[in-house]
Parts: sequence; C-alpha cells; structure tokens
Amino acid sequence: MNRVPVRALIAALAFGLVALLVAACGGGSSDGSSGDSEQLTFKLTDAGCEPHKASAKAGPIDFEVENGGSAGVTEFEILEGETILGERENITEGLSGSFSLTLEEGEYTMRCNGGTEEDGTLKVTGELETEASPATVKAIDTYKKYLLKNSEELTAKTKPFVAAVIAGDVAEAKRLYAAPRVNYERIEPVAESFGDLDPRIDARENDVPKSEFGGFHRLEKALWEEETTKNMEPVAEALLEDVEELEELIKGKVKIHAVEIANGANELLTEVSTSKITGEEERYSHLDLVDFKGNVEGAEDAFLAVAPLMEEQDPSLVKEVEKDFAAVYAALKPYETNQWPGFVLYTELTKADTRKLAQTIDTLAEKLSLVPAQIAQGESA
Amino acid sequence: MALSRRRLLASAGIGAAGVGLGAGGYLIGHDSAEADAAESTGSVPFYGEHQAGIATPSQDRLHFASFDLETEDRTELRELMEEWTRATVEMTEGKMIGTYAGNHDELAPPEDTGEAVGLPASNLTVTFGFGPGVFDRPGLGLAARKPAALKPLPPLPGDELNGLESDGDICIQACADDPQVVFHAIRDLARIGRGTVTMRWSQLGFGRTSSTTRTQETPRNLFGMKDGTANIKAEDGEAMDKYVWVDEGPAWMRGGSYLVTRRIRMILEVWDRSPLQDQEETIGRKKYSGAPLGEQDEFDPLPLDVKGDDGKPVIPEDAHVRLASATENDGVRILRRGYSFTDGVDQSLGELEAGLFFIAFQRDPEKQFVALQRKLGQFDALNEYIHHVGSAVFAVPGGTRPGGFVGEGLFRPGS
Repeated sequence: MNRVPVRALIAALAFGLVALLVAACGGGSSDGSSGDSEQLTFKLTDAGCEPHKASAKAGPIDFEVENGGSAGVTEFEILEGETILGERENITEGLSGSFSLTLEEGEYTMRCNGGTEEDGTLKVTGELETEASPATVKAIDTYKKYLLKNSEELTAKTKPFVAAVIAGDVAEAKRLYAAPRVNYERIEPVAESFGDLDPRIDARENDVPKSEFGGFHRLEKALWEEETTKNMEPVAEALLEDVEELEELIKGKVKIHAVEIANGANELLTEVSTSKITGEEERYSHLDLVDFKGNVEGAEDAFLAVAPLMEEQDPSLVKEVEKDFAAVYAALKPYETNQWPGFVLYTELTKADTRKLAQTIDTLAEKLSLVPAQIAQGESA
Repeated sequence: MALSRRRLLASAGIGAAGVGLGAGGYLIGHDSAEADAAESTGSVPFYGEHQAGIATPSQDRLHFASFDLETEDRTELRELMEEWTRATVEMTEGKMIGTYAGNHDELAPPEDTGEAVGLPASNLTVTFGFGPGVFDRPGLGLAARKPAALKPLPPLPGDELNGLESDGDICIQACADDPQVVFHAIRDLARIGRGTVTMRWSQLGFGRTSSTTRTQETPRNLFGMKDGTANIKAEDGEAMDKYVWVDEGPAWMRGGSYLVTRRIRMILEVWDRSPLQDQEETIGRKKYSGAPLGEQDEFDPLPLDVKGDDGKPVIPEDAHVRLASATENDGVRILRRGYSFTDGVDQSLGELEAGLFFIAFQRDPEKQFVALQRKLGQFDALNEYIHHVGSAVFAVPGGTRPGGFVGEGLFRPGS
C-alpha cells in the first residue's frame, strides 16, 4: 500500500501564490471566467458594509452592492492590506453596482467609507482552481475514462468470484480470483486516495491488525492455504461492497490533476518493486506476475494519457519511457503461458529471473520519475 | 534548554546508586581524567560505572557480532568473559592482545591476528550483552539472575524478519573510527571464543547514523536525511538516567542497559526516484538543512500542532519524526546509535542490499522500543521504503571495575 500522491505541486507552480485582479471600476462586467463564480451581496448602510463579515471559496467572486438607504456611504472596496483590489463608487440611494475579482485563500478587508463601524473582513478559503488548457482537460478525461472502465470491469469480475466463494466452490473461486486482480492492480493508487478502501480491498496479512484482515487476500488465504470457503461469506460480501463503492467514487466527483496521474504511474511501479517482484503480494496463490503486469499496464496507460502534455518540452524522454515500457513487456513474455492464469507462478522464478525483471522495472521507473516535474512545467508554461 | 557540558562519565557517576564497585570517588575521578585523555589520544577508557560504547560519542565504524553459546558450563562462560575482558582492555588501549612472547614465538600462531598493529586505538569501544536464551539454559543456573525486562521481542507490525540476522546468546558491539580496528576486535574475540561460542551473525557498519553528543554534527543516513537530531545526547545526564541506564532489578544489571538491534533494509532504488517533497514529507524534515517542515533550523522543536495554508498539519500525520517523537509517545525516548550498512547486491533483484543497522539503548525494551515500533510499524510513511529483516535484544551489564571482568556480577553469589 502506498501513500496519497503529492497534490500541493499544482497550485504552487501554476499560480505563484499571487491574487489575480480582473476588471473592476466602471462596469459591472464579469471577469470572463467560467460560470462557477460565487455571488456575494452587500448593502450599504450608515453603519457601513452589511454584512460586516463574509466568507467565500477561492476563485472568481461577483460582488453585488446595493445602497440600502444611506446618504453618507456610497462606496464599497475590497482591499488586501492597504491595496484596493476592486471597488465600486457612487452607489447613491436607489442604485446598485457590481464588480468581480478572482481571489486566492486569505483574509481581505471590506471597506465602506463613511460608515460608523470599522472595516469588515472577507475570509477566502480553499485552493484556487486552475483553468486547465484543452490538452490537460483531454488528458484528465482520457485517464478518467480508463479508471472508470477498469473499475466497472473490476466490479463485473468480482461478482462471479464472490458468488463462487459464497457457493462454496473452491476450485471455481480460485479460477475466478485472477481476473479482478488485474483490474484492481491497474488502478490501485486511485483506490488509495479514498481513505481506507485500499486496505479493505487489498491488504496483505501483516498490513493490518488481524481483526481487520479481509478483502482479496483473506479470501486468497482461505482458498489456497486453507482450501475452504468456510466463514468467508461476510468477507466476500464486504469485498463486493467495497469494490462497488470504489466504482461509485470514481464515477462521482473525482478530481485528478495531470501531475497526480503522472505520480500514480510512478506509484504503480513502486508497487511492483516493493511487493510484486518479491512475491509478497500473492503469498498463497503466487499469482504475482499477473498483478505485476496489471501494475505495468496501469502505469503505461497513465503515462500515455499525460505524455502529450510534455511532448513539447521533452520528446526524447517520452520516447525513452516508451522504449523502457516495451522492454518490461518483453522481459515478462518468457513467463507468459496460454493456460490459466496466463503466467507461471511466482514460486517458479529463479533469482536470475527476478533480477532481470527488477532491473527492467528500475530502469523504467528511474525515467518515469522525471515525468511529473515535466508535466507541471508544461502546465504552467 | 541550556545544559552545562559536564564530563561524560562524571555526570553519569554523580547521584547514581552505589553498585558495589568500591570507592565511588576513585572511579569518578579516574574516569574524568581518562575521559579528558580520550579526546587527545583517541582512546576510550574501558573501565567505568557503565560499559563504554553507549554514552561514548558515536564513532564512525561498527562491527557487531552475535554469538550462540555452545556450553552450559558456568565456569567456561566465566572464563570466556575474563579472557574477553583482558583482550578488550588491551585493544582499547591500542595494544596487541597477549604477551610479547605470545606474539613473537616463531613456532606458535601469534595470539593477536595482527591487522591492527600500528593503528591507534581509534576510540575503540567494545560492549557486551547477553540474550534472553542464556538465562534459560538449565546447566548455567542463571535463571534467577534473569532481569524481568529481558524478553525476546514480540512479533511487531512491519516485521519482515528473514531469520538471518536475528537473536543470539551473546553480542559484542565494537565501534571505532577505523574499520580495520573494529574488524580486528570481533575477529580476535571470536577466535578467543572458539569452542565456547560460535558466530551466529555479524554486521559491519560504515557510517554512524546518530549523533549521540551535542558536539557532533548530525550525520546522514542512506536516505540522505539527517539522522539523530532529536536523539538523547550523552551530555544530558538526566535523560540518560531516565531513559537509558538501568537502576533496578538484579545488581549485575545496574548501570547497564538493554540493547535492541534491527537490521533495516532500505529500498534505495525506490526512494531515489521519489520527488524531494515526498522524501521530506515522509520523514517530516527538510532534506538538506534537517529543519522540521515549517521551521528554519535543524534544532527547532517539531511544530506538531501547526497547520499550513491548506488546513493540514505541516508535519504530516504519518511523518516519521511525528510518530517517533517523545511528545506523541508519552515522553518515551530511546538512545539511538545505529550505523549504515551495505552487504553487496541482493542477487534476486540486482539491487543494493543496504540500509540502517539500527541500534537502540533503553532501560526497558517493552516500554520503549517495542511501544515505539508498534506505532511506527503500523503508521509510519517510511514503511514504504524499508523492510525490518533482522531483530535482537540483549541485556548489557553495568560497567567493569579495574581488576574485574564484564558481567562479573552474574557469577557473584547473591547478585
């Protein structure tokens, strides 16, 4: 199991932490940003700005100001420190006006000159959403489709497996175990980003306290080590529930950035290096090479989704990475068979075999690790 | 917190309960003089209230060995400890083991193997410990001397023990600034032990990964991260007494400590391709300065309650320094004194077989190391990059008086 991918990179690089100023005096036009503007409405009174305290999410904000019957207060300003970011003046009785700003997280001053009360505050929280380029949008969209496809297949393949376990058919359950593993191992980092879904679905025996050991590997242990499905019904049912929950989460508002996709590719290769190549993942069934290929496929598809974003900066890196992926598949080929599960069991590999595989992965991963920074650069260019 | 820099051994001696070592005054005074001498001559006194190699400023090199005891004859064990003590006194003074005659008789194999001849003592310390198994051997009759705190370590989260560098009946920790000197120490002591003990496993260490005194610059471990910033420092007599030195249980253990070793294989290839931010967030410190995330200086206290602009703690919840900090562990601390190691290439992966040979001293392994590892083994972000492959625990007896030998108290009636 790995940690959540790095997220802070995006905001920091893309915007350099400076508030954006757009339009202001003269017209009530919007700043031309997407239709996701937040609306804040204020009244000018003898006291000053009303409400006196406001809060908003980072991003584009439309300020609507109306004179609520004050002769002395006719202005509304938003300041950062003593710098006026935006304002409307001459909003006399009966009139209203507006202006827009795109603000990042922080505390701003609201000032309505002439009012009896002191300045008010506007608290802005959250991350400024970047306006993604069409290429980025496409990359994210491509990858999301990949995630969804694998997640749906995962659910579809887990169902019969779970059914076989519940029916008590050990041989059939074993046969059906391999298929969902591939889909899961392709998209594992995404599962990891959703709280404890990954340990529930994919923990190995000493990853979690005994009472929490469930998911695929608990069933794997029952089938291969204990040769039984006794007492496994609740475990199997919980697994299907978790897998379906994953699908729902992926279908829903999953926000992914291009750099995260690139980081996810690296994490998939770390999975290979730390547990598949050592035979630790599938301790009872020894189907580690099946998972291995799944991880690599997942890494490749993630990489291919975002590669167009860096082709301008570093086309040679893209080529090298593609070459290294090919080398990994070539290295796996000798171990592929045309019977279930499609690969030799891990226990049949010699030190020389694992060594060769480990080296092709290390070669690929070392290059692939350069990609996220390239993507980030490409996005902020 | 300003602590006066008192002489190492003097501070350790003051206020400690009498341990039957004779004139306490002599011991303390003697050791202070020796300690002063140590800095200039590169020789660490062997005798003292505590065994050397614990509070001693961490030297650069390690050779650690674990032995299986092949005898149940108490006299044989006693004689071994006596001989080992004699040899150690000589080595730590930079002398050859044995006599002139013993080393120059053409017809006899020399007593000393010779590779340290001409090399200075190089701050050599040799520290001895006894594993739990020794006390369970019926023939030795030491069951009544077994300290309550000495138990095999329980299974711990994160254990990936391969059985190769674990456990043992007797351990010897040799540290010095010269690799040849530490190698020689273990080799010669193993030779002296032939017939009574066999070597179980050993580990060479090539770079200290903890500073144990305030004067030492914090070294880096193989992750390139500063290691030992928050370690107990030997000058901190109060902390040493509170966390390290044993002052209860059987008399032979007074002034001693418990030594835990963990062979921690680092997955360097994976670490090396992680972005700098990931590396720093895994540990909880900036890589190059060693400053805690969110702070400026290496020795700034950990800002555990501080949150960043995104509302999340600046030191992540699963960062190593947070999980290991005394604050998050009811004040539990240990004295770390580990070394980096490499043992060539893991032939099954074509990758470096390297990492940290972790050594910790504490007065109660269960309450200290075990409690910490239970938490770290489950939650530490660092777990992604390490495998705990070896593990052992030993009881390190109190110090030796001139004329005595290591572990003497074990053989004295009624102690």
